[in-house]
Amino acid sequence: MTPIPERPRWSNWLLWFVILAASTGALLLFRDRLDKAHVALAFVLVVLGGSAVGGGALGIALATTAFVVFDVAFLPPYNTLRIADPLDWFVLFAFLVTSVVGAQLLERQRREADIARSRTAEIDRLATLGAETLNAPRAEDALHAIAEVIRQSMGTERCEITMGEAEGTDSVLPVREMNIPLAIRGIVVGTLRLGGNRPFRLSRDQQRILGALSYYAALGVERVRLAESAEEAESLRRADRLKDALLASVSHDLRTPLTTIKGIANEIARGSDVTRAWVIEEEADRLSTLVDELLDLSQLNAGQMPVEVALNTADDVVGAALQRVESALGGREIDTILEGEFTTLLGRFDFVHTMRILSNLLENAAKYAPAGQPVRLRVSRHGSALIFSVEDAGRIAAEDRERIFEPFARGRPSAKGSRGTGLGLSIARRLAEVQCGTLEFSPMADGSSRFILAVPAADVPIEGSL
Amino acid sequence: MTTLLVIDDEPQIRRVVRNALDGIVDTVIEAGSARDGLDQAAASRPALIVLDLTLPDMDGLEVCRDLRAFTTAPIIVLSARHSDRDKAALLDAGADDYVTKPFSTLELQARARAQLRRVTRAAPASERVVAGEVEIDLVKRIVRRAGADVHLTPTEWGLLRALVTHRGQVLTHQQLFLAVWGRAEGDAQQYLRVYVGQLRRKLERDAVRPALIITEPAVGYRFAGE
Repeated sequence: MTPIPERPRWSNWLLWFVILAASTGALLLFRDRLDKAHVALAFVLVVLGGSAVGGGALGIALATTAFVVFDVAFLPPYNTLRIADPLDWFVLFAFLVTSVVGAQLLERQRREADIARSRTAEIDRLATLGAETLNAPRAEDALHAIAEVIRQSMGTERCEITMGEAEGTDSVLPVREMNIPLAIRGIVVGTLRLGGNRPFRLSRDQQRILGALSYYAALGVERVRLAESAEEAESLRRADRLKDALLASVSHDLRTPLTTIKGIANEIARGSDVTRAWVIEEEADRLSTLVDELLDLSQLNAGQMPVEVALNTADDVVGAALQRVESALGGREIDTILEGEFTTLLGRFDFVHTMRILSNLLENAAKYAPAGQPVRLRVSRHGSALIFSVEDAGRIAAEDRERIFEPFARGRPSAKGSRGTGLGLSIARRLAEVQCGTLEFSPMADGSSRFILAVPAADVPIEGSL
Repeated sequence: MTTLLVIDDEPQIRRVVRNALDGIVDTVIEAGSARDGLDQAAASRPALIVLDLTLPDMDGLEVCRDLRAFTTAPIIVLSARHSDRDKAALLDAGADDYVTKPFSTLELQARARAQLRRVTRAAPASERVVAGEVEIDLVKRIVRRAGADVHLTPTEWGLLRALVTHRGQVLTHQQLFLAVWGRAEGDAQQYLRVYVGQLRRKLERDAVRPALIITEPAVGYRFAGE
């Protein structure tokens, strides 16, 4: 990529020698009426023109040729190299020196202009790179953009920027792979790796540019690192918020059932109705659910929830969810609709997590939807997503539609005044996320509730192979 | 004369299990550690073992394998809900059933009865099985649904045969792989759920609400009992 002075092209040479010949011819027509100065001036113009367009070498070739032609054709005696008047030698050499010096001055000018142009291009590239480093919305994207610019500037096949440290390559001899440590304020933060299909060596110019470019690469790596630590800080903040919410809830959600249990145990011990013990069992179940869900949420927040993504069928997971919620539905019917062929409703998801999400959505629907209204579970395929949607006739106020996914937020009052733990939906959403899915609330056109779970879909390779 | 062995380090849990199963077995013996449990199992040959998964001196899976080395008595494992994923591993290690803590007395009683019944019945699997409107002849390899012949592919037949010969028992994914493909790992096995889906479409009235081939989440499948 380093700019090389333009090579004299043969067409240029031909053109300027033709011009020289033509001017010689024209001058010859009026040879008797011309002064030596006219000829010298005409030839100097041709030489300067040639060197301006075609470079110094063409200029000097033109000057030499014009020198001979001048002598032979315009200085008496004609058609020989001899010169009658010694003063004419002075004219001739003055012409040669003027032409050559002029050609060389022009050449130097050109070269400086070239360098200036390539510097400008380089500065432009660095500026673009700087902007990309700082402006790319995702730090990883910036890193890729920088790697691509470096790859183009160096003309290598591969260029990658990694966070790890590696031994720098001493590039005296051509190599296939070159490692350049990236440092910021003297601390190595990553490695730039250049790779070619054939051994390569960088020119002095390329090495100089690489020095500047790798500084941007180092900035890019630093940005990724900062973004990661920011993410970490965000997850810590989230864990902190959860802890606060948990502490607040412990006083209420844990103490209430404990108080009931203690009270009833005391009543029974004093000889009251023994069947009151059933209430103890109910409250213990509620406590058990709450403890399980708190453990789930903390596992999810710590990123420690095990995930086993495998090929699964929609009807299997729907069937398992229906079986699981059967007792909690209290006889309410779930209208199940599978849209499309069984073999198109496949996905790569975690069976247990997906079953839990669906169970939670169905239980909620049964709990909050007006009695007698249907609850519908619809499964369909949309491109690369397998969509489960749970619809019921209940309504959720617009301002609560995101809040319901927060821990301990109870969105809508239930018909039967039943107490949930307030963790179900936030767990469900996180369970969707850990298996590369999403869970959204997306009400129907008439405002009734609809939750949409999307997980990656899958295909069976060949029907006949099964 | 049936004996129950309870292996759990928590005296309160041992008491709950003893009280729950007192009427089902004749005698109950207790062990507070895995070592003690293995010794007692070898000495008194219990008919049923209830084993806690988290013992201080040994891993529950290990205890299961050790017990299986010398006894065929059914083992019911008590596990915490958060070891959901370990259930398949437990069954693979030789356990027969599991109950999650906290469990209800009724649930534990039902599981214990089912295991004891399975052992005493111990009749060889009959060659002809009838479940609802489906008839399966294991010798002639004929499957009929409501009197009409059902055609099964070799893989579907292998799957159905494995499930039916262990009727009422959970087969883990791994056990099914072994039964159908003869090995536990391989490319075709990721399609196990798809084969089950196809089999259900041929045998069940409603594949989403199966009555014959029941899903045990995270563990495997079970053919509905009689």
